[in-house]
Amino acid sequence: MQPQTIWQRMLSIDRRLLYLLLFVNIVAFLVAPIRMTASISPPVQKFYDEIEKLKPGDLVMISSNWSASTLAENQPQLEAVLNHLMRKGVRFTFISIEAQSRDISYRLAERVTSAAGYKYGEQWAHFGFVPNLTVAIKGMVNDLPSTIKQDVRGTPIEKLPVLHGVKSLRDYQMVIDVTPSNTVPVWISYSPKELRILYCPTSVMAAEAYTYLDSGQIKGMITGAKGAQEYEQLLGIRGLGAPFANAISFSHVLIIIFILLGNFAMLMQRRYERREV
Amino acid sequence: MDWFTEFLPRTPERLSIWIGVICTLAIYSLLYRENPFYRFFEHMYIGLAAGYSLGPLFVDIIYRYWIEPIWVQGYWAWAFVVPYGMYLYFIFSERYGWISRIVIGTLIGASAGLFFQEFSSRYLPQLNSTLKRPLWISSANPDITGWDVFVNFLFIAILISVLTYFTFSYEQRGVIKRTAILGRWFLMIGLGAIFGNTVMARMALLIGRIYYLLNDWLMIRIGGG
Amino acid sequence: MTPLTHLIAQSIWRLPETLSKDQRYLYASLIVLGAFVLVLGLIPVLQTLPPRGRRAVIVTVTFLAGLFFAAEFFLPVDWRSIFPKDDPTRNFLTPAIQPAQNVLQIIGALALGLGTYGLVRLHLRNVVQKRTQWGYSVVLLVAFVTMATFSIWNTLAEKELVKKTPFVERGFSILFDFTLVQLDAAMFSLIAFYIFSAAYRAFRIRSVEASILMFTAMVVMIGVVPLGAYISYTLLGLPQGPAPADADLWTRILHSAGLPTIANWVLTTLNAPVQRAIEFGVGIGGLAMAIRLWLSLERGVT
Repeated sequence: MQPQTIWQRMLSIDRRLLYLLLFVNIVAFLVAPIRMTASISPPVQKFYDEIEKLKPGDLVMISSNWSASTLAENQPQLEAVLNHLMRKGVRFTFISIEAQSRDISYRLAERVTSAAGYKYGEQWAHFGFVPNLTVAIKGMVNDLPSTIKQDVRGTPIEKLPVLHGVKSLRDYQMVIDVTPSNTVPVWISYSPKELRILYCPTSVMAAEAYTYLDSGQIKGMITGAKGAQEYEQLLGIRGLGAPFANAISFSHVLIIIFILLGNFAMLMQRRYERREV
Repeated sequence: MDWFTEFLPRTPERLSIWIGVICTLAIYSLLYRENPFYRFFEHMYIGLAAGYSLGPLFVDIIYRYWIEPIWVQGYWAWAFVVPYGMYLYFIFSERYGWISRIVIGTLIGASAGLFFQEFSSRYLPQLNSTLKRPLWISSANPDITGWDVFVNFLFIAILISVLTYFTFSYEQRGVIKRTAILGRWFLMIGLGAIFGNTVMARMALLIGRIYYLLNDWLMIRIGGG
Repeated sequence: MTPLTHLIAQSIWRLPETLSKDQRYLYASLIVLGAFVLVLGLIPVLQTLPPRGRRAVIVTVTFLAGLFFAAEFFLPVDWRSIFPKDDPTRNFLTPAIQPAQNVLQIIGALALGLGTYGLVRLHLRNVVQKRTQWGYSVVLLVAFVTMATFSIWNTLAEKELVKKTPFVERGFSILFDFTLVQLDAAMFSLIAFYIFSAAYRAFRIRSVEASILMFTAMVVMIGVVPLGAYISYTLLGLPQGPAPADADLWTRILHSAGLPTIANWVLTTLNAPVQRAIEFGVGIGGLAMAIRLWLSLERGVT
């Protein structure tokens, strides 16, 4: 067998070594006491400004469609946004199109709201799970109480003080879509034009949404966990966003170094082979 | 020693966290190699996920939209909806399989009919926003600077070149071909942005998991801010 | 009131309110039973149809379902006297959106249940026929039955339809919060390892396209995270925020040279039109597809 060159050995490195390296990198930079301040990106600033414009008692619909698979991205976003909404004294209701997100968002909201003294039924409510968001939105625009019928606790919508006098989605001021899937186009397409839409996607979905930001179809956006860090910074709170965003930074450095290393090794191997020929 | 006694699964809360950690480590064992430990937890995961979905499906949908309206409120006409929907379950039958297509047709027809509204309120405002971009400085839009005009021209040039690249109705030659090549390069910028963001999302998910192992299980307090 | 609202509001759709609770339950159960017999009894009748007749049924149902939503959207809100003039947001079909949404939610739930049914059916077969590695199918089925019981019980208890006991609460919490959620999060976090390994082994810069893609990805990956801000504003000492209105060219350049500013410019100015072009492509394709599906021109679907 021909002896391997150093470049060949580099290119055929055991993948488990790579996995370990990534794991160690993240552990190190999560534990390390390095905390860098984020620069607030314009979409996050717009998001913040839109919520600042709300008046106490305004009504916000939170479309929470994430499950545990994107917990690390969507949980810091939702927590930060809920904190801001409660600070402004606005009322909010949840709806989920994913079965798991029904319980995850309900449990998370119960924890966050009870810590802030927000009362279920009076200041917030959860509408539970609906599998078809499109017709649910169309139904809510037409007649909200008979579309939703009852909340997760089985209380008829008409009897919830938080929705006193609410007939339609038109009575809401804002929709906040916290999601890992393509639900924001559905809100854009079927909700009333006067409803302002804010977007909390996982980072995967963020690049595609810049066209909606440009056209004003969405008014602001928090991109994944790093966006949550920016939002926490604007609110002046300590959440999960900051340690996550720091560790993300250094994992990116590691990946970039390894992409360059991989390309360098391939280049050197090719030069070596050409010389051999 | 205090840390160690607290670390052990001696209270129900600690035991719950240990269960979560065993689940996580079982899944991660796949990274080393495929093994029975992983297979066990993988099947458990699928079973749990499928079983869990029945709660929300049954209570949030079937109870809310079918059982309560019929039995509690007395709206009898709803009775026909579930038997009609059950036609779907004939999909596994060779002989009666076509019956399920009636219900599938209802779902497909409804989403096709709804798409007209989506087209008008999702895509047309974007076209409107593109056409409204000012391309020269005039008294009508005094806030526009030379840089803004350049950015607007660039925006429209990129849009047109990428759309040219997407046009396959005729053979691309000459200027059209060069525009299409330019369009492909611009498309790579969009895909690069998506790739960068995808890496960020995936890293965040792993970081979330490692945070759980460190913060909740090993009780190494990781602060924010 | 439109004719449709009038029709929906009729009392014929509701069992008489004079009935006692037990009577209502009895009548409702009998009607549901009758509905099952009637609807499922239609199957032998439908089965007698020749293939062309069967297709005609499917095509008609698909067309009517689409027609309702298309007409509800397209029909003007104020057209001739039969349409309501009091509410500018509705036409005469709009009141029927309510029942249509309820029907579609129920069918949607049954369609989701179909996936679960298929999965359980497959694994039950594995166990009954003792196929290879059928033990794992037993694990899956046990997990399924346990979780389904706790999930339905807990959701009913939330609505106060059954009693909430500490056993249910604790059991559901262990199965959901500490098992399902953890497994789900762990499963999806595995992709990070694979993406890292793939980036090192397969991301090769061999063409102009690949170079542009990688360069953009790197700018975005460093520019949008706090490290980008740290390098630009702390290490290099670049000025942060927009330049003052009367600043000279050099100051303006310095103000826009920070990595976060560049990354944001790439995303908003270069990336946004690309995404819009993709959106236009998807939109036109989607419209053509919607019409084909609606009119059953697309073979193999309906």
